[in-house]
Amino acid sequence: MTRNLIFKAIDQTATPAEFDRLQDAIEQDHEVRAEYLRAVRLCESLGEIASGAFSVNSSKTDVPVRFAKQNESTHRSLAGGLKLSRFAIAATMLIAVGVATFWFGQQENSTTNVADKGEQTETIKESQIAGHATLRRSVDLKWTAGGNEYRDGDVLTNGSLQFEEGVAEIDFFCGATLIVEGPAALNIESDWSVEVTSGRLRANVPPAARGFIVRAAGSEIVDLGTEFALEVRAENARVEVIDGEVEIRGGEHNGNHLLTGQRQWLIGTETPESLNGLSTLDELRIRQENAASERFDTWQALSQKLRQDERLVAYFPIAENLAQRFVRNAAGTGDILDGKLVGPVERATGRFGPKSTGLAFGHPGARVRTRIDREFKAFTFACWVRIDSLEHVYNALFMSDGYETGESHWQIRNDGRLMFSVMVDDTQSVQTFSELEQREVETAGLARVYYSEPIWDISKSGQWFHLAAVYDPVGRRVVQYANGMQVGSEEIIDKFYIDTLRIGPAEIGNWGQPFRKTPWFSVRNLNGTIDELAVFDAALTTKEINTLFENGKPLGY
Amino acid sequence: MDHEPEREQRYREFVALLTRHDLSIRRFVRSLLPSRDGVDDVVQDTALECWKKFSEFNPERSEESADGFIRWACVIARYKAMSWQRNKARDRLVFRETVIERLAQAALDNLDQQQMEQSAIEVCLGKLQEDQRRLVLSVHSPGESIANIAQETGEAARRLYRKVNVLRKRLLECVAQRIAAEVSNG
Repeated sequence: MTRNLIFKAIDQTATPAEFDRLQDAIEQDHEVRAEYLRAVRLCESLGEIASGAFSVNSSKTDVPVRFAKQNESTHRSLAGGLKLSRFAIAATMLIAVGVATFWFGQQENSTTNVADKGEQTETIKESQIAGHATLRRSVDLKWTAGGNEYRDGDVLTNGSLQFEEGVAEIDFFCGATLIVEGPAALNIESDWSVEVTSGRLRANVPPAARGFIVRAAGSEIVDLGTEFALEVRAENARVEVIDGEVEIRGGEHNGNHLLTGQRQWLIGTETPESLNGLSTLDELRIRQENAASERFDTWQALSQKLRQDERLVAYFPIAENLAQRFVRNAAGTGDILDGKLVGPVERATGRFGPKSTGLAFGHPGARVRTRIDREFKAFTFACWVRIDSLEHVYNALFMSDGYETGESHWQIRNDGRLMFSVMVDDTQSVQTFSELEQREVETAGLARVYYSEPIWDISKSGQWFHLAAVYDPVGRRVVQYANGMQVGSEEIIDKFYIDTLRIGPAEIGNWGQPFRKTPWFSVRNLNGTIDELAVFDAALTTKEINTLFENGKPLGY
Repeated sequence: MDHEPEREQRYREFVALLTRHDLSIRRFVRSLLPSRDGVDDVVQDTALECWKKFSEFNPERSEESADGFIRWACVIARYKAMSWQRNKARDRLVFRETVIERLAQAALDNLDQQQMEQSAIEVCLGKLQEDQRRLVLSVHSPGESIANIAQETGEAARRLYRKVNVLRKRLLECVAQRIAAEVSNG
């Protein structure tokens, strides 16, 4: 029995002959190989759980609680012979190449507080994002080639921010807001400080952010409250207080305080013109709303054209929807396919700003129901979605009720991967473990799930994505897209081949199981907002998917 | 006033990636060595080598960099695992290079299932009775072995081995079933 041999090897009780036999088996038989890896991973996991679990004393101890002993093998360590825990690896690396270790505390998943770690493994990892500010709004931004590019709503981490044209509104976590006009080059240093190499900006600093520092032209401008303007060019730099007080530190003006209306040239010579014409928050908002509404109009015109496409079976342009309890099917198939809002579905701001809407499915009972009775020869599903969080193991985009032969499920797993699956044969039975009944059950159905690479993590919360899934029986391929780019492509193998597809009763943003035999239902509502769901009876090409994305993308994409 | 030197920025990028994937790399290395012996050494060698070569690591697209990094690091880890075993004394059981290659390939193929597997293990462990769970965890505690525990509890080692193996098999079956269910639970 190979398994016992595997355990012997892991326990290091195998004889050399047995060890050789196992090696032969690993080499020749991929099943043994897989089994060996599974066993090693299991034992490692048990070890990790043990060191975690045993640090928390369970009360009913009949076996003496044992703590991990030091592994006795000697360790060559850069830090001078210390044994490394897995959290110390990166720290050691820091010492090894001589970089100040304070950066370590700013890394994702790093040990910001070693004291909280208990033993060397943690059972629950708190998620962390690196960042100091948010790009709240922008108009006509043209990012400098080769630099970082961001979209409205993105978290900005430390590092450079450079654009040639346009205006950006940046909210620092401390509460300070900068309105920056391009061409500009900044370097975000922390929640509290930014360096400006070039550009014009207006800084607004509420009481909670007092002490916010803007570094420019060899000086630090410390805002003691409210608002100042700054212009930095190659040959001159000046600051002007719009309202309140700032202090200048460093450079030749060290210690100067400026009050409302006062200005100071940091470098260069005085020129008479004042620093006017800088956008205010309101002006920026109005400009941005106008631009968004223009984008909205353009999309509407393009969307009218799409409705003529004969391959389009269902189309829900929610963005232009009125406040009713249904969403109109705008495809040629007519109102028989209209979607009915059920439960706490909420209308939320859409991807074109306040003029447009989306539907939010943040509560378990929220769903939009439709029914599409026809046979499909291929599937293309596309929609715009703004994910706030992936709360459930599976988060629904568009799902046939239940899971019968030919039906598909389109959803996102909690690790950020898109899942597109098709039931190939619901009459076959497969042994699976029932979550609900906590035992093995005969599950009806031979089905196949196609996964994309991960496209989402919590740092992308609140961003709009265009997603698409194409099921192409003729080309024998399932292709998935995010923002017009391929993020997954897999062959449909014979075992999972099916070319007569159906939808039937189905839901947007949730999963209906009307014929289940218990009151319990799986919670799969999408915590986010959906717009412009389109269903085609055809396999769209990459170019066509890309066109859908280009036609429908919001401002700043 | 100075912009942060590029090297330092790259370095911080590197440490972030390394920190994020440390556990996966460690798992991968453990899969290629016959025991926990040497895992720390190999992981550390791998980390240093990755940093040395980091300038060559250039993922095409930023969203691929996470997945790309782990695969790239695992290739380096494979060589490090081989050379570690090469340097070991002859009296120790080590894997042949062809075996390491096969294992490395197989381990890379299911990198993305590890999260699922991990949570399955936790659930399956929860299904065992309290005393079974304690037993199976205590023999796997770092630095422990079945032989040690047998000595301490006065239970015959052979019987204890049998007990533990039954539990391990049960856990393996349970995990395999759950994963199969996950994968078909579209």
